Amino acid sequence: MSSVYFKNVGKFYGTTEVVKNFNLEVKDGELITFLGPSGCGKTTSLRLVSGLEKNSSGEIRIDEDLVSSPETNHFVPPEKRHIGMVFQSYAVWPHMNVFNNVAYPLKIARMSRTEIQDRVSEVLEMVQLNGLEKRMPNQLSGGQQQRVALARGLVSRPRVLLLDEPLCNLDAKLRGKMRRDIRKIQQDLKITVIFVTHDQIEATTMSDRMVIMNEGSIVQVGSPSEVKDKPANDFVADFLNQD
Amino acid sequence: MLQNLREKALSPYSILGLGFSILLLTSVFPFLVLFFKSFYSGDGGSFTLEHMESLLKSPSTLKALTNTILISALTAILSLFLALPLSWVLTRTNIPFSKQLRSWFCFPYAIQPYIGAIAWIYLANPSNGLLNNIFGAGTFNIYSYAGLIWVMSSFFYTFILLVLLASLDRMDSSLEEAARLSGASPIRIFFQITLPLITPALASGILLVTLAAAASFGVPAMIGTPARIFLMTTKIYLFQKMGSMNGIYMAGSLSLVLLVLAGITLFLSQWIQKKWSFQSVSGKVSRPTLVELGKWKTPILILLLFMLFVLFGLPLLGILIASLNKVQGVWSFDNLGFQNFYRVIFEMNETGRALWNSTYLGVTAATTATVLGMMLAYIQHKTRIKGRRWLDILAGLPYSTPGTVVALAFIMAFSGKFLGIFPSLYNTLGILWLAYMTKYLSFAVRTTGDGFGQIQDSLAEAARVSGASWWETLKTIWFPLMKPSLVAAWFLIFMPCFGELTMTILLSGPGIETVGTLLFQLQEYADASGGGSAVLSLIVVAIVMLANLIVKRASHGKYGL
Repeated sequence: MSSVYFKNVGKFYGTTEVVKNFNLEVKDGELITFLGPSGCGKTTSLRLVSGLEKNSSGEIRIDEDLVSSPETNHFVPPEKRHIGMVFQSYAVWPHMNVFNNVAYPLKIARMSRTEIQDRVSEVLEMVQLNGLEKRMPNQLSGGQQQRVALARGLVSRPRVLLLDEPLCNLDAKLRGKMRRDIRKIQQDLKITVIFVTHDQIEATTMSDRMVIMNEGSIVQVGSPSEVKDKPANDFVADFLNQD
Repeated sequence: MLQNLREKALSPYSILGLGFSILLLTSVFPFLVLFFKSFYSGDGGSFTLEHMESLLKSPSTLKALTNTILISALTAILSLFLALPLSWVLTRTNIPFSKQLRSWFCFPYAIQPYIGAIAWIYLANPSNGLLNNIFGAGTFNIYSYAGLIWVMSSFFYTFILLVLLASLDRMDSSLEEAARLSGASPIRIFFQITLPLITPALASGILLVTLAAAASFGVPAMIGTPARIFLMTTKIYLFQKMGSMNGIYMAGSLSLVLLVLAGITLFLSQWIQKKWSFQSVSGKVSRPTLVELGKWKTPILILLLFMLFVLFGLPLLGILIASLNKVQGVWSFDNLGFQNFYRVIFEMNETGRALWNSTYLGVTAATTATVLGMMLAYIQHKTRIKGRRWLDILAGLPYSTPGTVVALAFIMAFSGKFLGIFPSLYNTLGILWLAYMTKYLSFAVRTTGDGFGQIQDSLAEAARVSGASWWETLKTIWFPLMKPSLVAAWFLIFMPCFGELTMTILLSGPGIETVGTLLFQLQEYADASGGGSAVLSLIVVAIVMLANLIVKRASHGKYGL
């Protein structure tokens, strides 16, 4: 279980600055949400942690490891960062069954067959998919595919789990259950989670702390109650009071 | 009153009726005639298997059949080896100039493969080919199986490449990113995630190449025939040029065999698409994370440029030098001059006629096909009339049918008094126009269909609510919004028609030259053509490049290469 540090992180696309002077410490074992309207830079910040995007300036550290620092030309590629991620589109591989999808990271790590078997059944039980190992993704509902993606993200016991708007494609009822399930798994495993969402209810009900973002910058960081009680400015107040 | 009349005349139902009648005449009738005449050609039109039988008993025909299958299959395999690594490098790595490289690697798609045959004959004919002058006599012999397969592959790999690029661009990039975060290396991601997901596209691309190679005429005629390597298309040509009725029937029967072969290939392709395709295509297209080539960047770029040179630069250079050579096969600067250009452009009467005929045919075929295609696409996309699916299928059939077969069917259907009233169309510009339009109609249906699909009905409805009539809406809303698709469709049809050879050579005789048939005649006297075919080839390439540029501009990069 790990911490993530952002130090003066910036990201440019061409001449557009999508993440500005981002400073944050994500603490060991907490669930932190990046919340903000679309285009505020929250998904980009998440992808900077995974290494799927490279920051243009500043430093990112996971625990003691410096993973990206453009100034010193230091960059650890995503496959070496030991991170789990759940994508908005789930990204469940359609040509592999549930077992093979979830087992993939372990096979890459060349674990023994019995160990893979044990770990996969353990994690499938956790996401309540046991018994569906042989199913192909097109035989699963959206919610079940979501759980496959979550299991795949957890199976290698990553240092940090990144969730990119994982619930926005689910219907309202399922979303509520998934919120509780994710939170429970996170607390059971005491794993560090960064959760990106534009849904303020999701953020306030699930997280230990939330990071409110707008136009590439952090506007406020705090626990849900702190942010609700003392919004830093009108933007935060407006954003939290919508609908 | 007039308004009312116009509205009635242009109602979807009358368009549907008109469309159906035209399609019956062009896409159904000729093929029925081909079928019946091949089997009911006995005395007094009785049923006979005589022609089929004599075909299947003739060793030379059977050899042509096995040659066709062998050469098409090997062409598909070589094309695959060219296209697959290329598609990965161009879509998944940080190779510099990827946009330009893409364009250039896809460009042979727009050019008639027989131009490549001409170029490679100048480069590698055994007697005085340019490459043999450089590397020593007898190093290369283009008149061989290997030569045939190489020239075909150097064009048809673009079929696979285009299909793969489209499928790789559309793939949900998070599928690969998820594998990356699981710790997989780029190579591993390619083989375990990317390749399985593009397999359906790959398979259909391979079958497409097989079909195109089996249907191609120009390359086998120019390279295979001098080496006495016959394919089905060149065999059909020989039968037809015998001039006798028996020859026509033999050609017709053999073309039916080719049609069956094409049908099987297409069926397989459809079946694979249905059976294997995964819904891996996401609505939202995000840019994939590119693989850093690092120290491999320069070597790979150099390799690509070298490939480009061999595939594209060398043949172009070949015809350029050949067109400037006063005497073919002599390699010195004193031997360069513009005599060939002067002779071809100003002294040969046929050149002017051929350029005029090809332009005229290209323009009329492109215009009529675009108009008809737009009407069919309108019915397909903007109405709910029953049977509209059939229009699409009928319009698409001739394009999947080998050109040789289309030509034979048209000869049988439209020579002799058609329905007892119309004069024979054989060896007229009319039959060429009809054949071109029929063959390439599906380009127009598809392109304008995409256009209609992108325009929301509410835009037109808003115009109607604002008081515009049906006709005014068409004029002020639909047409301006459709303009890019219409321009693209027009040029996409003009390009292949301008240099068409496969159908033209069968449908026309002396007196009706087109650019394609003139090039073919010049090339028949192969190395003795004295650079004439090189000059004309350069003109064709230049015109196709120009047309391609216009398509690309008009459609903002959506069509064109």
